[in-house]
Amino acid sequence: MTIKSLQELKDFIKSKDNVRNFINCSDVPDICKTEPCMLGVDEAGRGPVLGPMVYGIAYCPVDQTKILHTLGCADSKALTEEKRDDIFTKMLSEEESLNNVGWVAEVISPNYISNSMYRRAKHSLNEVSMNSAIGLIKKAAESGANITEVYVDTVGPPEKYQAKLAEIFPNYKITVAKKADSIYPIVSAASIVAKVTRDHALKVWQFLEGLEMSHTEFGSGYPGDPLTKKFIRDQIDNVFGYPMLVRFSWSTAEHMLQERAATCTFEEVDDQGATKKPKKSISSFFAKPDEEKARKRSHKFFEERHLTVSNPFE
Amino acid sequence: MSIQVENNLKNADNTEIFEQKAHYIPCKIEDDGPANVDKYFEPYVTDNNGELSGSFRGYPLDGTKMTFPEGYRAVVVTEAKRPLAEDAERKFQVAGGFKEFTYWNWDKKPSKNDNMVKALDWIDISEAIHGD
Repeated sequence: MTIKSLQELKDFIKSKDNVRNFINCSDVPDICKTEPCMLGVDEAGRGPVLGPMVYGIAYCPVDQTKILHTLGCADSKALTEEKRDDIFTKMLSEEESLNNVGWVAEVISPNYISNSMYRRAKHSLNEVSMNSAIGLIKKAAESGANITEVYVDTVGPPEKYQAKLAEIFPNYKITVAKKADSIYPIVSAASIVAKVTRDHALKVWQFLEGLEMSHTEFGSGYPGDPLTKKFIRDQIDNVFGYPMLVRFSWSTAEHMLQERAATCTFEEVDDQGATKKPKKSISSFFAKPDEEKARKRSHKFFEERHLTVSNPFE
Repeated sequence: MSIQVENNLKNADNTEIFEQKAHYIPCKIEDDGPANVDKYFEPYVTDNNGELSGSFRGYPLDGTKMTFPEGYRAVVVTEAKRPLAEDAERKFQVAGGFKEFTYWNWDKKPSKNDNMVKALDWIDISEAIHGD
């Protein structure tokens, strides 16, 4: 099913599971299957402590870029929300756009972000981002688009990212740049796809935790937004912390939970994810061996099974 | 110190109280009281042919259903008020129990090498040593 309006976008997002990632995409315009195409990549919602991060791509024939200007694709951050909604609506419904511009969006759930960053061997947000971008470019190519040029917006240093993409996609001309969405209209289009999808994902967010709250109450999700601040301060469950709208791995959320929820301690691991063994202190080598303790040491059988004699009622 | 456990539920009509749901979470939670398990945790548990996955405080969990060895079950007891004197008799009330539980590991598939599984070995061994 291909969505044709913002209402259908909302319904589509609503039908999806809040905690899992999902992809939404247009049909591949026929002309994009034969003509060489440029493809733009951008993201929305990298910084917020609430809600999903969305990666978006848009592509069109290299010699049809005037359609992007007709649509009004420019630096998406300089566009108002109404203007972005308006452009995306045109991309969903107007013949000229449907015939020339294809797009794909991946919604990366807040839970997926937290879970990745809190794995035994941590995955950084950069890795999550890069994997999504690579997956979307591959998806466009696999569904038949004849991609020849790729433009990517990045917040980090472009060189490493560019080298990595060039290695994966040796046949594409790849350009990674800061502020690419204000330089390349195809990246602006990708940025609009991502931003409008994220905005609507927040609009239709349903709390399985039973909170009756709309996005007008929890705000934009940016840690500086007063409504978001209030949400992070007030919506705490003593045991579970937060509803799944929240990225637990954001320091704003971590600090608040340290202060206002039950303390939770997980096993300590090193960078590779292996369990840390408690270190012996230097002084322990000089101290007199504790004979009492040594005598009471239990058999290896019990030690290996972490069994001790104790009284749970103490 | 002596301990007395009272079971006022033994003639209860609903057996469900002894078949409650329980989760073993791989994390020390410094709290003792009710928890919104059905709202904050269970809606997010998914079952892929017995391989469960869930999430606690943003940490990814892998889980599996576990039962107790034959003849064993878990009982939950509560104490209305702990006596002030160390050596006073303590009274507990049976509040319920469970026959199976969900065992969770942090980002690691449950296996026979998990401490919980290894600890339950003792029950068979003790049977062999102390049984008739």
